[in-house]
Amino acid sequence: MNFAFTDDQLALAAAVRQVLAAHCPAEAVRNGRSPAWSQLAEIGLFGLLVPQEHDGLGLGLVDAVLPFEETGRAALPGPVAETAVAAPLLLAGDPALGKLAAGSLRVSVRIGDQVYAPDADLADLLIVEREGVPHAVRPEAARLTPQSGVDRTRPLFGVEFRDATRLRTEVAPAVRAVTVAVAAQLVGAARHLLDTTVGYARTRRQFGAPIGSFQAVKHRLAEVAIAVEFAAPLVYAAALAVDRRLPTVDRDVSAAKAAAGEAAELAAGTALQVHGAIGYTGELDLGLWLARVWSLSAAYGGPGLHRSRLRTAILGTPEVRRWP
Amino acid sequence: MDLDFTRAEQDFRAEVRDWLAGHVPGAPLPSMDTREGFEAHREWEHLLAGERLSVVSWPVEYGGRGASLVEWLIFEEEYWAASAPGRVSQNGIFLLAPTLFSHGTAEQRERFLPGMARADDVWAQAWSEPEAGSDLAALTSRAERVEGGWRLHGQKTWSSRASYADWGFGLFRSDPASARHRGLTYFMFPLAGVTVRPIAQLDGEHGFAELFFDGLFVPDDLVLGAAGEGWRIAMATTSSERGLTLRSPGRFLATADRLVRLARSTGADPVLADQVARAWLDAESYRLHTFGTARRLAAGEEIGSASSMGKVFWSELDVRMHALALRLLGERGLLDGGAPDAEEGGRWLDGYLFSLAGPIYAGTNEIQRNIIAERVLGLPR
Repeated sequence: MNFAFTDDQLALAAAVRQVLAAHCPAEAVRNGRSPAWSQLAEIGLFGLLVPQEHDGLGLGLVDAVLPFEETGRAALPGPVAETAVAAPLLLAGDPALGKLAAGSLRVSVRIGDQVYAPDADLADLLIVEREGVPHAVRPEAARLTPQSGVDRTRPLFGVEFRDATRLRTEVAPAVRAVTVAVAAQLVGAARHLLDTTVGYARTRRQFGAPIGSFQAVKHRLAEVAIAVEFAAPLVYAAALAVDRRLPTVDRDVSAAKAAAGEAAELAAGTALQVHGAIGYTGELDLGLWLARVWSLSAAYGGPGLHRSRLRTAILGTPEVRRWP
Repeated sequence: MDLDFTRAEQDFRAEVRDWLAGHVPGAPLPSMDTREGFEAHREWEHLLAGERLSVVSWPVEYGGRGASLVEWLIFEEEYWAASAPGRVSQNGIFLLAPTLFSHGTAEQRERFLPGMARADDVWAQAWSEPEAGSDLAALTSRAERVEGGWRLHGQKTWSSRASYADWGFGLFRSDPASARHRGLTYFMFPLAGVTVRPIAQLDGEHGFAELFFDGLFVPDDLVLGAAGEGWRIAMATTSSERGLTLRSPGRFLATADRLVRLARSTGADPVLADQVARAWLDAESYRLHTFGTARRLAAGEEIGSASSMGKVFWSELDVRMHALALRLLGERGLLDGGAPDAEEGGRWLDGYLFSLAGPIYAGTNEIQRNIIAERVLGLPR
């Protein structure tokens, strides 16, 4: 029993964090569509789940979960989860995997409970589920309808298409994996919001004292810390469940997504309230993370949908199983 | 990262499960907060100790098995899943013993640990005073230096198990000129020399008591650690109390499983079903989190103030689960063990009343949230 990340797993996350600190500052989130992409490709982010015979690292989702926390912490724009996590599974065995691992094939997907394809206008390839089967769609064969929304740095698109190639893979494993990756991003975004808000509360003074010295503020932030602290293990365990194809995997994925989404929404709401009016402005970068939390929490099934599945999984089966 | 138990850990689980299946009393023991129930629980501890199962993580020489932290967590999962009796010895084995291991002398360990493991000696904690609850450093009970030892004066309160226990431990102000955290000394003392006034709790039983010290003589060999160092030594104990040792996940996992079974049998509308499913997952999350903590402790890391997050989480989860059970049961949930219609002999109600103490003891959850904000997040005092 070793429910802790290995040194290799931690080192990979640290490398991603370093790259993002250098190449994905808030300014790049605000104005860039896919900053840091080539640098992330260099350190292997897009080849993490690609088998070694296709020039990938051949690792598992559990190795990707901390790097994805980092992408969430930085609010990294671009179809990163779709390209690095969903695509390697949907394109399993396909010669395109080499380009994918190298970072030269950007993929957006509309699978599972997704209604829209995120960042589809940036994609070199779209993978769309139709009648339960994944189909590859070239951008020129697709008609994209922009569906503008609250998260301007993660635009959504309706997808219609004429020609499509039926893929031989299954959709469900890719849906599970990308859902866990997005849950990890939500945990990372929540950690960023907590850190930023604590930093603000330490320096912002009212009534002659830092507002972070007031218990009403302290207790709200403590609540966020607890929510994030106890959401993260569910995300890590779900990554293990996906890698091991455990019988409980669907329940574990739903638990991860619901808990991470709720923790991040709590972090976002608290961050806004503690920042006060300045947090409500578009001038502060805070709003970028608020919008990202809202959009990722709704992506691949929001907490409502996953909580409803959890009710069925836990109360609707004869004996609820705990693993291992 | 993995979640795999080793062969040895699986064998240990199987052994514990089998033994418990053959030995857990068929009918619940009477409450440990009655004289009769206290002794029945002591007998149960004797039985556990005979199998070296009362303190599995302790070294063999003191009655344990030298089990790893993960094995202890496995033991706890099996123990509570088997509906085994509550641990009358828990103040000693979970709060005092870690301090004896880290700060006690070899003589103190040999003298006290084997008896504690067998519950020949049951220990009561004596932290709070009438004017020092959450603000423990405001305590005024004092220790007066005399030839060969100390005389204890003052009053302690909310002393768990003290109504029937044999020994107590707590902090006393040994330097009369000192204030707050300084000048305190950690003492162990026989309850026979103390006036004990049992206090009836919400459930009517005497789970805690007031202690009056009127010059009780305590020799030097009952001082734990150095005189004047009591605060620092006691803090090692309280982080155990808040964190891993007092409330292992096993107890909450067992409650969560019972709650799910109850919701299936009574039927639950979608609102309650949602809350039951959440509670089950919260218990699971606490379990996973604890496996991570165990790993970090085994690697030599300190958990420190982060244990406050666990304390808030488990204590509020415990209340939530029991409150949900009562809601599922409706009016019947409020019947006690004396009522013919009570579910499981009133066990959910007993558990509910017990759970309500969780957010209060071992530092109220308001204090815990201050600790999280100040020491984990770094907000100003």
